[in-house]
Amino acid sequence: MARSPRSDDERSAESGKRLAADGGSVSDADGRLSDLTSFFRERPRLRTLAIAGPPYGLLVFFFAIPLLAMLVVSFQTDQIGGAWTLGNYVDFLTSETYLTVVWRTFLLSVQVTAIVAGVGYALAYSIVRFSRRTTLLLLLVILPFWTSYIIRMYAWINILQSDGVLDSILNLVGLPALSLLYTETAVLIGFTYVWLPLAVLPFYASLTNLDADLIEASKDLGAGPIRTFLSVTLPMTINGVVTGVVLVFIPTFGSFITPRLLGGTNNVMIGMVIENQFKSAFNWPFGAAIGMVISVVVVALLVLATRLGGGLFGTGGETS
Amino acid sequence: MRKVTDGSTSLNRRRFLQGAATTGVAAAAGCLGGDGGSDRVPMDVTEWPPENLESSLNMWNWYDSWAEYAIDAFGEEFDVDVSNSGYSSADQWYSQLQAGNDEIDNIAATTNWVERSIENDFLHEIPVDIMPAWENITDRIKEASSYQQDGSTYAVPESLVLYPLTYNDEYFDSAPDSWGVLWDEEHEGNLCMWDNATVSCQIAALYTGQDPIQPDDYDEIEEVLIQQKPLLQTYWGDYQQGMSLFVNEDVVAGPLTMGRTYSARFGEGAPVHYTAPQEGAMYTSDLFVIPKGAPNPIASLQFTNWASETENAAQLFETMGYQPAVDISDELSEEDAEFTNWPDEWNLVFSETLSDEVRSRYDEIWTAVKAA
Repeated sequence: MARSPRSDDERSAESGKRLAADGGSVSDADGRLSDLTSFFRERPRLRTLAIAGPPYGLLVFFFAIPLLAMLVVSFQTDQIGGAWTLGNYVDFLTSETYLTVVWRTFLLSVQVTAIVAGVGYALAYSIVRFSRRTTLLLLLVILPFWTSYIIRMYAWINILQSDGVLDSILNLVGLPALSLLYTETAVLIGFTYVWLPLAVLPFYASLTNLDADLIEASKDLGAGPIRTFLSVTLPMTINGVVTGVVLVFIPTFGSFITPRLLGGTNNVMIGMVIENQFKSAFNWPFGAAIGMVISVVVVALLVLATRLGGGLFGTGGETS
Repeated sequence: MRKVTDGSTSLNRRRFLQGAATTGVAAAAGCLGGDGGSDRVPMDVTEWPPENLESSLNMWNWYDSWAEYAIDAFGEEFDVDVSNSGYSSADQWYSQLQAGNDEIDNIAATTNWVERSIENDFLHEIPVDIMPAWENITDRIKEASSYQQDGSTYAVPESLVLYPLTYNDEYFDSAPDSWGVLWDEEHEGNLCMWDNATVSCQIAALYTGQDPIQPDDYDEIEEVLIQQKPLLQTYWGDYQQGMSLFVNEDVVAGPLTMGRTYSARFGEGAPVHYTAPQEGAMYTSDLFVIPKGAPNPIASLQFTNWASETENAAQLFETMGYQPAVDISDELSEEDAEFTNWPDEWNLVFSETLSDEVRSRYDEIWTAVKAA
């Protein structure tokens, strides 16, 4: 129910009482806050603008405008003020080399996503079902985020390199050294480590909302653990799974640092190609065109995932 | 129109929108930058030393260790508060110049970026004729570098950067005399290349006897790079990573900068040295520039001269292992002098800025090689 607005006199009188009772500054601040509240309450459209404006403004300023600028540049021959052309898109989409890179990137991203989803789901499930120190475990999961991405990759170089930490441990227990650095396995390990928290958190959120009684009911009805998982647990947490998968797949697709630092000679990804266009080839229009195509592909995959998952941001277990 | 009135604290829609608009414009102006530089420009200085230096200096210099020395030494000598933003890639500062510089006073920039900056009118002209330290710059680098246009000078050389063949001097009895060592199956798995389209393609061009600035057989370059791929342990993409490959003795030969080779040898005790194979080796230069919009251009000019004084230039080698643009032979120990000496018989090729076509072809080749 709307309150009746107070008159200016009433407000002044109340303000004066506050001044007398509490001293000037606090009551002045209260009065201004009250004025501001009333001002916006009486102007719902302005209030909506004040609330929704900043986030929309940020989106427009830092996402939509740069994206639009990239789109414009991708149709030009030069970075600034070049002639209009479709050549950048034609060059990219008709090049076997670049399409091969995209395909490899896709395959690697799928591998990374599958590994992270499997490991992440098992981790989240064990945290929810079998652990009492949930907060501590979740804290440990997100702990790596407190360290720079580059530093984490250098840590993995020290672990995986010849005679590094991993090889030393293997030698201690009498096993042969693996020397994993500069292999595709190293890239998979690096990606899995980096993206695991992004998957575990939505998995954990969806598993937390899962009604444990349903699992018990499934078992009571004669289903084994695997069937219970496939027919109850997984379907009831599919939104969280899809969210985690999307959060891992997208950044993996655009990555260039991890394969560069951990990979060998066969780990080129499309993100590295785009980076080169901007940083060394100075062919910004071509880099922008590749970026636009990849963005469209990723958005298409996002839409597909959303349809499969029934709602990207619904991480609860209440699937329809 | 309804108003909420309460004396001095009153608000109305117009005042609110005015305030919001003012804030927005101010924020946009801040974000977009602008020509926030001093009224004075370096060419206003007609006599040395320049007077009325500004009290601060913000430089962008990727020779981090030397920059630490410069911050203290220059700051104390001229009572200027110096700060440095180390950077790893030139596009970091170049994008600031494109957006309208109002922060950076002095940059250590590689030749090809200096050329791009001159072409786009991003740099102040520098009165080198009145700068005492200009005489210290060696003729070799003065002639090789590209920093002048229409008789005007826009940069002062800081260092020579060689892209040599670095090798393990315990593994090899003597310095390899050909880039062919990187294609030698005897060293399979112990070689590396630089994950840099230009550097790698230019090495391949030299190896195949072509002009690295304007090659005539791109297919051959691509072919030999693909042939080389199974012999390599990796393509390194980060200077620290490249140095670590040699320090950990994961590789015995590959391209690395002279400075990183110096750090690996004298800083990390690695058994490495460098050479210029008979086919030739590329080199470029880094130069001091004063970007337009610099808030402290006169302090920046004084700094540029100070950095080219022999004692201070020598510190560039002592701290980073790069050869300064100044002759510092009298300042070096015998060991350092031996390391930094480039024999006259070396065939060194200045890394001129590539044409768009060559750069584009090199990039295509490098992508194809990595995808092969």
